[in-house]
Amino acid sequence: MKRSGLVTALVHVGLVLACVVALYPVLWVVKLALAPTQALSLSASPIPDAVTFDHFRDVVGATDSQGRWLFGRQLLASVVVSGLTTLVGLSLAVTAAYALSRFRFPGKDAGMQTLLITQMFPATLMLVPLFSLLQTLGLLDSWGGLILVYSTSSLPFCVWMLKGYFDTIPRELEEAAVMDGASPWQVFVKVVLPLARPALAVTALFSFMTAWNEFILAATLINDAARFTLPVALQQYVGEWKTEWGHFAAGALLVSAPVMALFFALQRYLVGGLTAGAVKG
Amino acid sequence: MLRAVLGGLLAASVTASGAEPLKLWHAYRGGEEQAIEAAVKAFTAETGIPVELLSVPYDAFSSKLTSAIPHDAGPDVFIFAHERLRQFHRLKVVAPTTTRLERARYFQSTVDALEVDGELYGYPLSLKTLALFVNTALVPEAPKTTDAWLETMAKVSDGKAARFGLAYAAGDFYLHAPFVFGFGARLFDETGRASFDTPGMAKSLAFVKSLQDRGFMPQEVSGALVKSLFNDGRAAMVISGPWFTGEIENVSYRIVPLPTVSETGLPLQPFLGVEAALVSARSKQPDAAHALAKFLSVGQATLLRVNPGRQIPAEIAAYERPEVLADPTIAAFKDVAARAVPTPNTLEMAKVWEPMKLALRGVLQGEVAPSAAGQLAERRYRALNRERPEPTNATPWLVLLGLAVMGLVGWQVKGLRGVSFAKRYPEAARGLAYVAPAAVGIAVLIVIPFAVGISLAFFHHEAGDYTFVGLANFADILTSKGYRLTEPLSFWFTLAVTIAWTFVNVALHLSIGLFLAILLKDPLLKLRAVYRVVLIVPWAVPNYITALMWKGMFHRQFGAINGLLAALGVEPVSWFTQFSTSFAANVITNTWLGFPFMMVVSLGALQSIPQDLYEAAEVDGASKWTQFRRITLPLLKPALLPSVILGSVWTFNMFNIIYLVSGGEPGGATDILVSEAYRWAFQRNEQYGFAAAYSVLIFFVLLGWTRLTKRLTGPEAA
Amino acid sequence: MSGLRLSGIRKSYGDNPVVKGVDLDVAPGEFLVMVGPSGCGKTTLLRVIAGLEQVDAGQVVMDGQELTHVPPRDRDVGMVFQSYALYPHMTVRENLAFGLELRKLPRADIDARVAEAAKMLELAHLLDRKPKALSGGQRQRVAMGRVIVRRPRLFLFDEPLSNLDTALRVQMRGELARLHRQLGVTMIYVTHDQVEAMTLATRVAVFNKGVLQQLGPPLELYHRPANTFVATFLGSPSMNLFEARRDGAAWVGSGFRLDAAGDAAGEVKVGLRPQELTVAADGPFAGEVEAVERLGFDGYAFLKTAAGPLAARFDGSMAVEVGQTVRVKPTGDAVHVFSADGARALRHPEARR
Repeated sequence: MKRSGLVTALVHVGLVLACVVALYPVLWVVKLALAPTQALSLSASPIPDAVTFDHFRDVVGATDSQGRWLFGRQLLASVVVSGLTTLVGLSLAVTAAYALSRFRFPGKDAGMQTLLITQMFPATLMLVPLFSLLQTLGLLDSWGGLILVYSTSSLPFCVWMLKGYFDTIPRELEEAAVMDGASPWQVFVKVVLPLARPALAVTALFSFMTAWNEFILAATLINDAARFTLPVALQQYVGEWKTEWGHFAAGALLVSAPVMALFFALQRYLVGGLTAGAVKG
Repeated sequence: MLRAVLGGLLAASVTASGAEPLKLWHAYRGGEEQAIEAAVKAFTAETGIPVELLSVPYDAFSSKLTSAIPHDAGPDVFIFAHERLRQFHRLKVVAPTTTRLERARYFQSTVDALEVDGELYGYPLSLKTLALFVNTALVPEAPKTTDAWLETMAKVSDGKAARFGLAYAAGDFYLHAPFVFGFGARLFDETGRASFDTPGMAKSLAFVKSLQDRGFMPQEVSGALVKSLFNDGRAAMVISGPWFTGEIENVSYRIVPLPTVSETGLPLQPFLGVEAALVSARSKQPDAAHALAKFLSVGQATLLRVNPGRQIPAEIAAYERPEVLADPTIAAFKDVAARAVPTPNTLEMAKVWEPMKLALRGVLQGEVAPSAAGQLAERRYRALNRERPEPTNATPWLVLLGLAVMGLVGWQVKGLRGVSFAKRYPEAARGLAYVAPAAVGIAVLIVIPFAVGISLAFFHHEAGDYTFVGLANFADILTSKGYRLTEPLSFWFTLAVTIAWTFVNVALHLSIGLFLAILLKDPLLKLRAVYRVVLIVPWAVPNYITALMWKGMFHRQFGAINGLLAALGVEPVSWFTQFSTSFAANVITNTWLGFPFMMVVSLGALQSIPQDLYEAAEVDGASKWTQFRRITLPLLKPALLPSVILGSVWTFNMFNIIYLVSGGEPGGATDILVSEAYRWAFQRNEQYGFAAAYSVLIFFVLLGWTRLTKRLTGPEAA
Repeated sequence: MSGLRLSGIRKSYGDNPVVKGVDLDVAPGEFLVMVGPSGCGKTTLLRVIAGLEQVDAGQVVMDGQELTHVPPRDRDVGMVFQSYALYPHMTVRENLAFGLELRKLPRADIDARVAEAAKMLELAHLLDRKPKALSGGQRQRVAMGRVIVRRPRLFLFDEPLSNLDTALRVQMRGELARLHRQLGVTMIYVTHDQVEAMTLATRVAVFNKGVLQQLGPPLELYHRPANTFVATFLGSPSMNLFEARRDGAAWVGSGFRLDAAGDAAGEVKVGLRPQELTVAADGPFAGEVEAVERLGFDGYAFLKTAAGPLAARFDGSMAVEVGQTVRVKPTGDAVHVFSADGARALRHPEARR
């Protein structure tokens, strides 16, 4: 199909408009972050009037009373917690999703329903019982507790996604591997997982984002500023009486940057990973 | 008995060893944080007791405290405003200081603020209250009475120059309270119950409304506007608290007490908030903890609080120190504080805020007459503060639950009979082994809290006590007890809003996403990769950041959206005063953040449609539109359906956007079920049971919805 | 005993029996083709042999070793799938080496075997490509190579040529036959294409509805079909079948009368292959020509006769037109006779081997 020049031009106009809408609020935050004041800069123009990197310097250079470099430690906390959450969540999700996709066993349908149902109960009311639970498990004030909670809370979505994708992988491939002499585990690791890479990438991204962006639980469970995750640090700029907008914006950009980078790195998988589950020829 | 003795011994030994550092939690930032750090250092230097400091984000502080302390995971000392004291007391989180506190060292009002049921809790550190900030260039003589005040305002206000006599966040009841007291109204009657429908209340509202009507004061004032007007010299006077001093730039000003109402002779009496060092009831080292808390409230720590903390100290002696007297702000606030009344830390006070906010905003926006506003608040008050339903005997319910469980198990077992298990499920062992880790995780960390949440719905929670009330919560919600079906508080109203919210959002996400996907489909399109990357950006931004970002952009006076509208010659819209625009603001925000997901899904789905179908249709003479309707849409349906269902569930429970963007304004009309449940749990007297019942209903609505979609789409979706 | 023996194999999916008790012996070095319409159980049986399906009843024994419950990887069996099932994330070389790596063969061994198979299948220049970049025939060869490198004692093929176009199919058929000769290994081949069955097999097993209908060398099945199913399934166009009854020395059906040999009596079905019918003025069958297929040297005429539709061969030189009424007669002794229900053959033409 060949498009006429006019149609192509219109397509570009439409897309450019959409991009402007998509970028405008972000530029606005960039402007806040670069502005010399802590105030909410309020004008329609997304172009900074004055540029200073003070806010970034403050946010990155934050130290506590003992001279510990908070930003560095919190970045480490975020990376460790999010990374392990992704790892734990993904390994749990991958095995469960594979079983749900391939095997018949009692309680399977009920399990799938439960997964969907857990998405429907508002999370806000779960904090109190969760805290007691983690204490019982001895996981308060530890990254372990956070990792466990994060990885399970993103599990239902991950399992759904992965199951959908596994359903599209032809069984013959696995049978071929079986004939080639692979054990069930080898089939799973050497054939199924490499083929599910797009879906794995997407679910990993989601797990990572869940952990990377959460702050209420992190602030509630962790009792040491140097082990807070970055969003908790970011939230500290929002006070009861006033908000340090400049710091918040700079922090928001720093917190969002890795997620964005991941998004862009994985975006070629996004399209396939998200849809393949549902579209099978 | 024996255990108590042992416990005592154990506690004593811990204290004696003194190895454990004290833990101190606060939510301070900037100068205040430096002050507390320095004070703690001084304490350790003096006593040799090490202290661990933790600064917690304000948003999470209260829930962190109330979660951690009862589990012995909390601090020994924490710093909090006295308004929460009653709640902390109820949860048995704070230790009394009645016998330890040297009352005479602090302002009487700050000590009063720390009293609950005849006991004192904590050590007063600093106070926050409201004063009049006067631009001395515009108003050389600070007015002492409201008559003089009005005169000054009339003189200074200039509609053409967009200059106002006064600016303050008038929609906030905290800032309106001085007027209520000034016009002789009392917030509570003799029995201690809140009273709204009083002549003084009506007068106070009428007075404020007249300020606005006469052009002395701008409309819809936010903190940001106050700051900008004052700094630009476009607001001669401002009502604000000590935190405002940090915002003033290049204006010479004076801080004076609020004027006296000429009509009544009473001063405009602001609330007084007291920040106190509270000692945890569960501290293992109570003596050391009390010592630390006391240390923070007096002497050297007080001076640090003044500088670099810039706080108004509660210790009287401080005001005799030259370094304090030299600070005009702090000295001024001393006078102001002398006239203030501590915000009552009673349960009843907590019930006043929401009804008053509703009445206040109704009056300021001209929707409610000042004389009728009291009644409006009274109605809202009654609706929010439910009587405790009759307690019910739980035994029949437990029996019923037991029977239901047994029935379910029996039914399952019956279903398995007939075909041998091994034949029916040849891979059961392997399957279950694969699922087990995830299932255990979900069971422990999701299903158990979920079950606890559900069971709460059968209880009434008041003041830390849970009473079993059977289905009363559900009955009250579903019959909309206490308010009309069409009021924002009604479950049915909120449900309708929620459904509209979900439908509009999903429809927009889908249509915009699909539209962009179609534009992006052509693999030969130039810059395709760039467009795709840029269009995914909104998805990658954490959604609380998105919400705060858009909240700012919808700002009445400075928001980018109104800026754009002005550039187009459209009147600025005051987004959060009407249901339609407020709802639209929420939708716009959520659409911005939600369309990329649908775009990506649609793109994938579109690419899976074989190109030859279109060629076939072309040959058959189908127009582009027909091709879209007859080929694209039907083939996309199975691919998009799961995403649409998932998307609708997410949108249905999209708490962050509603809570942070519109905040339910106006009057809770744009709240959706989740945010309403949150308010019942955390903003309306902790009616956890009621909130849980809401959550259960949300759950059933969603369950019904997914069932419905499953049925509608039939087997093809399976 | 050596070779493969299946005895009493039964398999059902839920309430749906797919293989209903099959006994089958395959001799070493044999090329057995299992053929039948789709859903006849042939693929299931192949998967049972592979170990991919568990039987409900029966035994699989190979070279005297009971394999019924042995997992596939310990059976020493290779299989080529209908969709080839090449691992899309591996190159051709990795695909070929995968099975050997799993068996932990020394690297040098693996390389040697891969190179050998690649040479045999003319894949050497494709070793570093991914399957996506291969043509259908190339993929087919990789799928075969994957089995060849492993040198199993039994090759299984599940409709391996069904995704290829005609020309390639003919070529690959030849290659398969060559491979069988070259390797001399036992092969079991499932197809629904009778041409493949006839050209490749040393023996053909015809299945219908989960039951083995007949087992034997291809020509025997062609000339001496055990029942009407086998008779009509093999040969194209299929054998003409008419209801008839014995009347003295003749088979009489509606509108025809054929000389009868043999001693069958009563109600029967008579069968005539189109290739053994010819257009002739004195033929016993008469009918209007409904369609004509001219193949050049000869052709087929499709007639509507009183007994039912009939196909007959005619010489390319003969003028046969649609709409014409022609007569048809058998060339020599051509009559097959089956019991009236078609389940048994009662007679085959003499002097056919």
